[in-house]
Amino acid sequence: MVPNFSSNDVQGNGDQGEEALNSAETSNNELDFDNFILEIEPETASFEAETIQTKPESNPNLQVQFKSEGGRLLLILPPAPEKSRNPVHWEELRRQLKERISGGERFLQPHTPVHLIARDRLLDSQQVQEIDALLSDAQLPLKRIYASRRQTAVAAATAGYSVEQQTTLSHLGQGQEASRQAMDEPLYLQTTLRSGVEVRHRGTVIVLGDANPGSSIVAEGDIFIWGHLRGVVHAGAGGNAQCRIMALHMQPTQLRIADKVARSPDDPPAQYQPEVAYIGPDGIRIALATEFALADLTKKESP
Amino acid sequence: MSRIIVMTSGKGGVGKTTCTANLGMALAKAGQRVAVVDADFGLRNLDLLLGLENRIVYTALDVLAGECRLDQALVKDKRQPNLALLPAAQNRSKESIKPEQMKRLIKALTKVYNFILIDSPAGIEMGFRNSIAAAREAIIVTTPEISAVRDADRVIGLLEANDIKAVRLVINRLRPAMVAAEQMMSVKDVQGILSIPLLGVIPDDEQVIVSTNKGEPLVLEENLSKAGIAFTNVSQRLQGEKVPLMDLSIPQESFFTRLKRLFGM
Repeated sequence: MVPNFSSNDVQGNGDQGEEALNSAETSNNELDFDNFILEIEPETASFEAETIQTKPESNPNLQVQFKSEGGRLLLILPPAPEKSRNPVHWEELRRQLKERISGGERFLQPHTPVHLIARDRLLDSQQVQEIDALLSDAQLPLKRIYASRRQTAVAAATAGYSVEQQTTLSHLGQGQEASRQAMDEPLYLQTTLRSGVEVRHRGTVIVLGDANPGSSIVAEGDIFIWGHLRGVVHAGAGGNAQCRIMALHMQPTQLRIADKVARSPDDPPAQYQPEVAYIGPDGIRIALATEFALADLTKKESP
Repeated sequence: MSRIIVMTSGKGGVGKTTCTANLGMALAKAGQRVAVVDADFGLRNLDLLLGLENRIVYTALDVLAGECRLDQALVKDKRQPNLALLPAAQNRSKESIKPEQMKRLIKALTKVYNFILIDSPAGIEMGFRNSIAAAREAIIVTTPEISAVRDADRVIGLLEANDIKAVRLVINRLRPAMVAAEQMMSVKDVQGILSIPLLGVIPDDEQVIVSTNKGEPLVLEENLSKAGIAFTNVSQRLQGEKVPLMDLSIPQESFFTRLKRLFGM
């Protein structure tokens, strides 16, 4: 049995697209104000010609990420901004890197050699040095740089780093069709996520701290908040409806799991207890964490 | 033809967003179809003032990226279905959108809405340029302080340089008592410097803070506060009605209060 606790707290809201679709047939000339479709005009042709050569990265959930592999740490940068649906420019990249370094202090063991995977990003020597400086703040030595762009490789080499230029990154599985199903290892963050911070991760996200209003987490796996959840969180962003959101203090602006959306009740409850959000038969539901774990176990035992 | 109005000030914290929320709501109440557009990318607030934060699914940037249609990003107000909000993205900077893209968004909105209010960010940089790109009219919001008036003056100049000629003034947070004691610039002082037509004067009112925190614009209240009445009046003037300026002079002291003061109580 799935407990019903506070199932009224959230209201499913994930079907607004359908509603709008139905109205397309009804009227063509006269706009029905209660039910209309509105689209912006496509960008002008000249602009399109520029972008057409670059194939945009299909996965928007790519940010700076650390990955441990055989005793070394891979620092993988997001793809070049001009190729991404969710472009990460240098300023943003530096901020993300700072946040990851300060947020994962205990996960990042000092003196672990770091290999920077620059992919197809364009970096100048100053930017490479800046990345190195950020890493050395966490006592992480930058050992080697992999880049597929020649300019980046040259810039890194002139700055005095050992460089390897590669044309493809197939062994890392980035952007490969086959590897897209596999999720990344969980992202552990010990930090407060403030307004405007967006964490995107192809896997589970664990936050030891609060997620403030205005912050957002988009994870392809589960989301655990060991603290107050007050922002927007999206678990199972890749479409996995089995994903869950857990928080010690569940007071989100909005919860999203796969393609379902729910928002908090207008009158907040007087008391908060650890809760779990999951997709039930009628949209997103919320259960007490303690009862949820029990229900989950009994469900597995029954045939 | 739809009216596209940018709400701007130059200086921050003078009440642009409060004015946009209340004016939008007042116009919608009067039966107009209103879209309010948050152009403050990275520091969005308009959704909070309207109490719509938790209904946002897509933002203007998602529309531009082709992730959704424009109507999917619009958040309709449950209390007043004539009002819709086009939210800004919170996780990006002002540079993430170009004036040309803003124009495309607004152009599409004009097909459905007859009033489009654009809430501009403070400053005169990229965010400001985006917010004025599609506008045909402007409302300058200022407080009776020299710094706010100075910045407003600069912005009026920039608007004129960008061919936005219909510029009108809202003076926010006026304290009649302080004006009477000559401690605050009067409406006349402000108008003397800016020399643009006056659309309204909003008195300083603690209720504004209450309504902001509740996410319910003042003009929705049953018993309108003074500021609520002033916002409603501004919306009526914006629709071409002739409404006299509210009498903001302080009420005469009663006999008892005068007596009390006489005895130093």
